[in-house]
Amino acid sequence: MIRRVAIVGYAQSHHQHNMQKTREDMVFEVCKEALHHAGILREDLDTVITASTDFLDGRTISSVFLSMAVGAFLKDESKVEEDGTFALYYALMRILAGTHDVALVEAHTQGSTLNPHQVSFYTLDPLFDRQVGVLNDVAAAGLQARMYMNRHSVSEEHLAKVAVKNIANAAENPCAHRQMPDVSLEDVMSSKLYYDPIRELTMSPISDGACALILASEEKAREITDKPVWIEGVGSCQDPYLRDRNIQNLDSLKSAANTAYKMAGVKEPLSDLDVAEVSEKFAHEELMIYEALGLCQEGQGKNLVESGTTRRNGEMPVNPSGGALGADPVCATGLIRVIEAAKQVRGEAGAYQVPNVRRALAHGQFGICAQKNTVYILGGNGS
Amino acid sequence: MGFIKDERPQTICVEGTWSLSSYHYKGSKLLEQYVKGLKQKKLIGSFCPGCAKVILPPRNLCGRCHRIMDGRKTVSDRGTITCYTVSPAITKGKLKVLGMDPVETGLIKDGEILIPVFVRFDGSDSNTDTILLNAEPKAVHIGMRVKVIWAKEPQGALSDFEGVEPI
Ligand SMILES: [Zn+2]
Repeated sequence: MIRRVAIVGYAQSHHQHNMQKTREDMVFEVCKEALHHAGILREDLDTVITASTDFLDGRTISSVFLSMAVGAFLKDESKVEEDGTFALYYALMRILAGTHDVALVEAHTQGSTLNPHQVSFYTLDPLFDRQVGVLNDVAAAGLQARMYMNRHSVSEEHLAKVAVKNIANAAENPCAHRQMPDVSLEDVMSSKLYYDPIRELTMSPISDGACALILASEEKAREITDKPVWIEGVGSCQDPYLRDRNIQNLDSLKSAANTAYKMAGVKEPLSDLDVAEVSEKFAHEELMIYEALGLCQEGQGKNLVESGTTRRNGEMPVNPSGGALGADPVCATGLIRVIEAAKQVRGEAGAYQVPNVRRALAHGQFGICAQKNTVYILGGNGS
Repeated sequence: MGFIKDERPQTICVEGTWSLSSYHYKGSKLLEQYVKGLKQKKLIGSFCPGCAKVILPPRNLCGRCHRIMDGRKTVSDRGTITCYTVSPAITKGKLKVLGMDPVETGLIKDGEILIPVFVRFDGSDSNTDTILLNAEPKAVHIGMRVKVIWAKEPQGALSDFEGVEPI
């Protein structure tokens, strides 16, 4: 990259169902806390980038209603639709361009105000798929899961093992929504069936939550902190729409990861990375994500969960924070993964800290069947 | 509009809707050709001269070749299920299939399930989203051969293609 850019502060809410706060108060609190964590003031910000969707916010041009909360009063501000990792990309570009040095990136959703699965129906082709009327994100995930499971002989038990791993990890994370320390395979396998084989506990919960992080150019980052978390690589890509997409693979994630790996000099992901935080909105997606990230061969994702490789104490921990199955405030979920990965690099992950993390991967996604994907490689001072 | 205090003691809930009146989606003329084909019990997809892919229902653009898919191709009304799911129990008023409530039209009984599927029709290269009828959920599998259930008197509308059933 032309300039080095680092994450120098962050904060997230205690994600939960139906938070007892307005959207503005929730966003204000995480932004204030992120500034405090970085040890800077609102006056130090050059630009603010936020992420949400107007549909989920219930307003058009929704960011203008939050400009006070995010600290953008009379400042340069912009918004991207969808996941917070896309907002981070935008902020990174602004700093790389040399026009700004310090950015605040914020993302949020309050799923309790309007069911996000209902909103997902409106992302379908209005001329045909919406007329047929039987799809939404959960039904499409059911189709994708069945296709993937059939191709690679993956059982419902494999999906349940992913869910148990992540939900149990979430219980160590005070910010996670699901707090089920004793969750068992049986709990998952007997949880409510939605669109087969998607069950209540193999899909992410509907959460209220927000997060914010502070991004700075190298010079500023070194002034602000002794523990900058450098963005070493980034990649973003999207798959075509469902109709002519091979939904049993995450091709766009594979491409995004390869771009990020090349930039960061990652050659063997399984050995070069120490931890990954990924946005698995459904348990089967985590297995597909392992494959797309090159942590294993195609079709071998189930082996990583079977062998315990991706457990918190495994060779390649994935989602020690609990991932999206632990909490899913839709537009914030990917940016939370970046924050969790940064916490691992800085050794600030507390009860779910993975030892000796030098390099971490974070992944964000948006759209039906994980249509759009972004990957970040983060490293500390020593990496 | 009502103010409900009990559910969220620290905030107030102001109920609202976000209605922008109706939206007039602009459909391509291809869709018109498609439904005219349905009237004759034909599935007309679009053909890309660049990559030879056939997309059904038709689409005007090929993203891969970044060009207009100016070819047309009639594909078979028989195909293979590439993936399926089984819905939760569908009650009256829950969803609309081809513009109609499936419980009201008698497609299913109140509380029954639907089986959404993707079908690859012979001669096409895309996922066509539809429902599998006249089959038990336990019997459905990937690779299952199916055919279109045509309306008795096709009207030249999307609803002429009611779903698919096992061959
Ligand atoms: Zn083409």
